[in-house]
Amino acid sequence: MEILRVENLTKEYSSNGVTVRALFDINLQFNQGEFTVIAGPSGSGKTTLLNIIGSLDKPTFGKVFFLGEDLSKKSKSELSDIRLHKIGFIFQAYNLIPVLTNLENVEFPLMLLGMSGRDRKERALNIMEELDIAELANKRPNTVSGGQQQRVAVARAIVHSPILVLADEPTANLDSKSASSLLDLMEKMNAGKNITFIFSSHDKNVIDRARRLILLKDGTVVQDAIN
Amino acid sequence: MFIAKLAWRNIWRNKRRSLIVIVSVVVGVSSSLLNDSFGVGIMNQMIDNLIKSHDSNVQIYKSGFRENKKVIDVIPGKDKILSLIGRFKNINGYSERVISFGLISSAANSSGVSIVGVRPELEKNVTDIHKKIVSGRYLSYQRNEIVISKKVAEKLEVELGDKVVAVGSDIRGNVSSQMFRVIGIYRSGISEYDNINVYVPLSDAQQMLNLGNNIHEIAVSIKDYRKSSELKEKILAELSNNNIDKMLYEVSTFQELMPMMMAFLDVYQQWSYIIYIIIGIAVLFGVVNTMLMTVMERINEFGVIMSIGIRNSKLVKMIIYESLFMGLIGTITGFIIGLLIYYPMSIYGVDMSNFSESMASFGLPNIIYPKLNTIVIINTLLIIPFVTMIAGIFPAIKAIRLQPSEAVRFV
Repeated sequence: MEILRVENLTKEYSSNGVTVRALFDINLQFNQGEFTVIAGPSGSGKTTLLNIIGSLDKPTFGKVFFLGEDLSKKSKSELSDIRLHKIGFIFQAYNLIPVLTNLENVEFPLMLLGMSGRDRKERALNIMEELDIAELANKRPNTVSGGQQQRVAVARAIVHSPILVLADEPTANLDSKSASSLLDLMEKMNAGKNITFIFSSHDKNVIDRARRLILLKDGTVVQDAIN
Repeated sequence: MFIAKLAWRNIWRNKRRSLIVIVSVVVGVSSSLLNDSFGVGIMNQMIDNLIKSHDSNVQIYKSGFRENKKVIDVIPGKDKILSLIGRFKNINGYSERVISFGLISSAANSSGVSIVGVRPELEKNVTDIHKKIVSGRYLSYQRNEIVISKKVAEKLEVELGDKVVAVGSDIRGNVSSQMFRVIGIYRSGISEYDNINVYVPLSDAQQMLNLGNNIHEIAVSIKDYRKSSELKEKILAELSNNNIDKMLYEVSTFQELMPMMMAFLDVYQQWSYIIYIIIGIAVLFGVVNTMLMTVMERINEFGVIMSIGIRNSKLVKMIIYESLFMGLIGTITGFIIGLLIYYPMSIYGVDMSNFSESMASFGLPNIIYPKLNTIVIINTLLIIPFVTMIAGIFPAIKAIRLQPSEAVRFV
């Protein structure tokens, strides 16, 4: 089932009167349950593409259809709602909220969804148990390792059962063991919960795990292959 | 609740900065509480002093007397009016007065005065000149007694027991005079009154002016001065109800008797609002500045929570909560500190005797007792938190205008 389609997507930035083209004429389609890596050298447009797919940014030209709906026609608050209900984000620098405990960080999307305190706590703890990080629940993010923080970030990204998880270089700050463990975890979530994962990465370990590899160069797709 | 919890924790991220804001609110709130309570204390004491020194809450005259002060303008049908006033509940009392402007002379000097004839026991229910006797005693029902102020005594160079002669014009316009013996010297603390009022028994004044049983003024006193206008309206209504021609009478409240003083109090009230505005603006800029700094420092974090899908309304709420919490902590602490300073001052007073001359010209005693009232408490407890809440709006707008994709990459 198609969940995402990108049509003729071009993104340009203007800086000091100079227009820089970050993406050019991208056409892609993603189906539910895919485990896709968007790879490419720095500056190839991986993060820009993820941001546009995740409705954090708008294309200069072209369209993005998410679950059949044209994102360009959505208001800012409608896009927030789509992200809240359907999309999870994992960032390179974990980006957990430092003043919240790990459990509260995982609860955060559920709170935004309006779930009651008791239910969201229970659900967040269940996810954390599933990811083997329940013992970190009451600790603050800065008191646990990078790998553990990224697991908490994964828990936060999937706690509200999104259809799509976008991960921007999730293993870039991790050692190889933690990175491998994190990828195992995401593969497990992908298989067990049928969540679609799209990564941006130039990490060979990640690329090797991809079932679909999209290679970007200078803002264009140079390869789109199923592994 | 979660947003409030997050906001609460956010304000303690940079403790020093938040504490600077909170301290500025504490200083603002406690100083405005003290300033206001001092102002209310001054106003209350000033009004109370003026009312109890002579003016009373409501005065009744024959129409025209207040303006012309003609001896002939006695209150028509005074017994009926007195019986009507006597039926009023919630009044402290009333006093019958005869008032004549004249000259009082001693062997050494003379002074223009207002000779006020009173029934001593009735007058005690209206004014407290009897409590302000600094030498001798207050009037009894003995004849030819006079109580004068210390200033008049100094001017006339008289002491207790000395004789003075009062000269005025009687009801027919003839010059009349009477000898009195000084039995008491008072000091009201209000220069305006001390310079002019001398008190004699009502019967002596009536005799001197050939007034018979007539009087010029009925002074009425009530417990709460703020109800003076209400009392005036009641008196006028009672006159109508009893088929008395109210056009014959002039009923004045102390506010009408002291328009300059009321204008001064009004200016003072306005000034206290200006102080609130100044403090409010200072707090506003302090909080806006701090909140802008915290927003700029957390751009990346705002990008993350925007990516997760927070709605603008919740983001705004979170930032406003942060500034509101700082305002509330500062307000409550400032209020408690203000109260701790206010409490002993309200009991022991603030000694302003260094300014006694100018204080007396405004009808103020040397010791000022600050007074908290509901308006002061409401103003203090609501204005600053409201200002801090407003101060959160601008930084909140800054935050919601962030572009999530740029904010999330912000380092």
